[in-house]
Amino acid sequence: MPDAQDLEAPKADARKAEILIIGAGFAGIGLGSQLRRHGRSDFLILERASDVGGTWRDNHYPGVACDVPSHQYSLSWLLNPDWSRIYSPGPEIHAYIRKCAQDEGLLAHLRFDTNMLASRWDDDRRLWIVETSNGTYEAAVLVTATGHLTDSFRPDFEGLDSFDGPVFHSASWDHSADLVGKRVGVVGSGASAIQIVPEIQKIAGEVVVFQRHAPYVVPRPDRAFSEAERGMFQRDPSAMREVRSENFWVREYNFAARRLIPRFINDARALALGHLAKQVPDEAMRAKLTPEFQLGCKRTLISNTWYPAVTAPNVTLEASALDRVENGRALAASGQGYDLDVLIFATGFEATRPPFSRRVFGRSGISLDQHWAQGMQAFNSIAVHDFPNLFVVNGPNTGSGHNSALYIIEAQLDYILGALDWRDEHGRTVLEVRKGAEDAYMERIADMADGTVWLEGGCSSWYVDERSRRLTMIWPDYMFSFREENATFSADGYLPEPALAHEFA
Amino acid sequence: MANSDRKERLTRVGGVDVRYFVTGAGDGRPPVILVHGTTGSVDRHFGYLFPALGIRQRVIAMDLGDPEEELTVDGLVDQVVAVIDAEVADVPVTLVGYSLGAVIAAAAAARLGDRVANLVLVAGWVKTDVHQALRNKVWQTLLNEGSSALRENMAFMAFSPAFMAMRTLADMAAIAAMIEINPFVERQMDLNVRVDIADLLPAISAQTLVIACAHDIMVPPRHSKLLFGGIRNARYTEVPSGHGVMLERPAELVHLIDSFTRNPNAHPAGTIIAAQQP
Repeated sequence: MPDAQDLEAPKADARKAEILIIGAGFAGIGLGSQLRRHGRSDFLILERASDVGGTWRDNHYPGVACDVPSHQYSLSWLLNPDWSRIYSPGPEIHAYIRKCAQDEGLLAHLRFDTNMLASRWDDDRRLWIVETSNGTYEAAVLVTATGHLTDSFRPDFEGLDSFDGPVFHSASWDHSADLVGKRVGVVGSGASAIQIVPEIQKIAGEVVVFQRHAPYVVPRPDRAFSEAERGMFQRDPSAMREVRSENFWVREYNFAARRLIPRFINDARALALGHLAKQVPDEAMRAKLTPEFQLGCKRTLISNTWYPAVTAPNVTLEASALDRVENGRALAASGQGYDLDVLIFATGFEATRPPFSRRVFGRSGISLDQHWAQGMQAFNSIAVHDFPNLFVVNGPNTGSGHNSALYIIEAQLDYILGALDWRDEHGRTVLEVRKGAEDAYMERIADMADGTVWLEGGCSSWYVDERSRRLTMIWPDYMFSFREENATFSADGYLPEPALAHEFA
Repeated sequence: MANSDRKERLTRVGGVDVRYFVTGAGDGRPPVILVHGTTGSVDRHFGYLFPALGIRQRVIAMDLGDPEEELTVDGLVDQVVAVIDAEVADVPVTLVGYSLGAVIAAAAAARLGDRVANLVLVAGWVKTDVHQALRNKVWQTLLNEGSSALRENMAFMAFSPAFMAMRTLADMAAIAAMIEINPFVERQMDLNVRVDIADLLPAISAQTLVIACAHDIMVPPRHSKLLFGGIRNARYTEVPSGHGVMLERPAELVHLIDSFTRNPNAHPAGTIIAAQQP
């Protein structure tokens, strides 16, 4: 392996590269690092913001933290002995990604404030033409590394214009809004809300939480690492790998519950409902906090502070959705009205129709979003027919309902590296998957999804595409099988190299 | 694939009723036969493995029966063969044994020849050594004295320090309290000191995966390495767990067994397979 640091870097004014990566979150930075470690330096990473970090740059709300233990939620080749806690706070994760980008020599490859506007496959020249807010780029290979949860989702509410105070989404937190002593409404009770509410409850006068559906919440076995532990991780990195292995397989165990094997779904429910019973003695309150669907159907949340916060004297749990705003007053679906000073939307992200898909146009000239009119689909969860030389990281069926998202990303990076090597070895310019191979792959996923909680758990969630009712966000199996099936590139399923235009003449 | 129910069946051999369970649809791979160890049963040792493997393939798991006479490896092999004959006589099988069940499975593979296509031995051994005999003697003493420490001593022996580090002392006491001891278990413990299948190993022709538990102080990895050394077509790997791997790392076993039976020769005989670094 060549020394990555000795590789050339692209010129500052480069407009052309072999590989263009869209997005500088975990996936984009991880891929850049691996490319350099494999001796490839002809790539650029386009980032619409002015910093790396993806979701960990965007989400800086009070209390932001990861729901996967930090040693597991790190790139496997860039372990970090300095994590402060088992579940480290968001800013620490952001700092880690920045450090990875710097240490791996990626700064010269990054183009900040460069928003991809339209990527079009040019069939004659056999390359991608990528228009951005900062000019046009060209590349043989395009990798969208834009993440699962990138663009915030905020439903429209009638009368919101009449609300006088600050209104913002959790992923674009307005730190200038003063919450001290104020009446604050939080819309949502998902993964963001349960981190936000315990923090703002400490300083706000009153908090009203609009909860459409009560989530399942399990204990968060969190604590700070001791200095001795951090020293051990520093001096003996194998200790970090042991922790990763343990975390990974403990999480893999939970797939049996997602698969609705009775003994394990019963144990998982007992753990969550036991946590609720222990933290919420009041029966009426407990009823409002008891989920109406099967555990795992929506994301299972991890918190020791959510239940104490929503049952605190200055918090009102409104067990219905926000319906509208009328004359500055927030009205819940139940009919109850609340006078509030600040309104915070913790309503999640665009998931089943990722916004990047409206900006990528294939051989036929139609967008990925149109192409995916019946829901996302891709061969090996990464390649799409009619979109040659495109790799979609965190595309269809790459979410995990029970384990770490980074494990999936790493498997997908291995696939891309394998595809690039194969392309070089065989002197190929165009890699395009066959429609039949893509359809067969999706049939297999549909078959695997049958019998899992995501389809049979009695809820509606962003894991399922509302147009096709197909499970498009989750890999409905053990995570290890994602790596086994999707980490190794094979040319089976791909079309042969197309003939050059002049060969027809 | 919807979750398939398990069907309960019975076969009789040498005056013993052997109860077994069947789950999962065939997927072209040899059906999996699960053989439990000391203090075990399908529910106690394969509560996770049986349904989890059953998602993907056909699985048959038996509760070993108590012959109420002197227990021998040979007699228990008769039970395994009886279940195979009753349920899947016409196709080669994948035989998976855990602990004493691994000893039985290895002996059964020696007897059945090419009727066993794949053999997976989890925390098994060839011949009882002094380290095991001394533990067994302590167990007998605690039993004879009616000691309240008997079960806690068993839990202490069975689980790794890392497993216990994630739990409380009360959790461990609850796990210990679930261990069942009955006359059949006493006969199994008596058999455990008499095991010696060294002469059978050369007769095993199956494609074999030997799985040791790295932190096992009941059947330390050195025993699995002897199985690896003595079985011609064997490869070896370790799981970072105590002997109680069925509670500590069952999902990892699902991975190892599923991968091995998909492609038994992915690693040629003689390979020490490195653990996945997730």
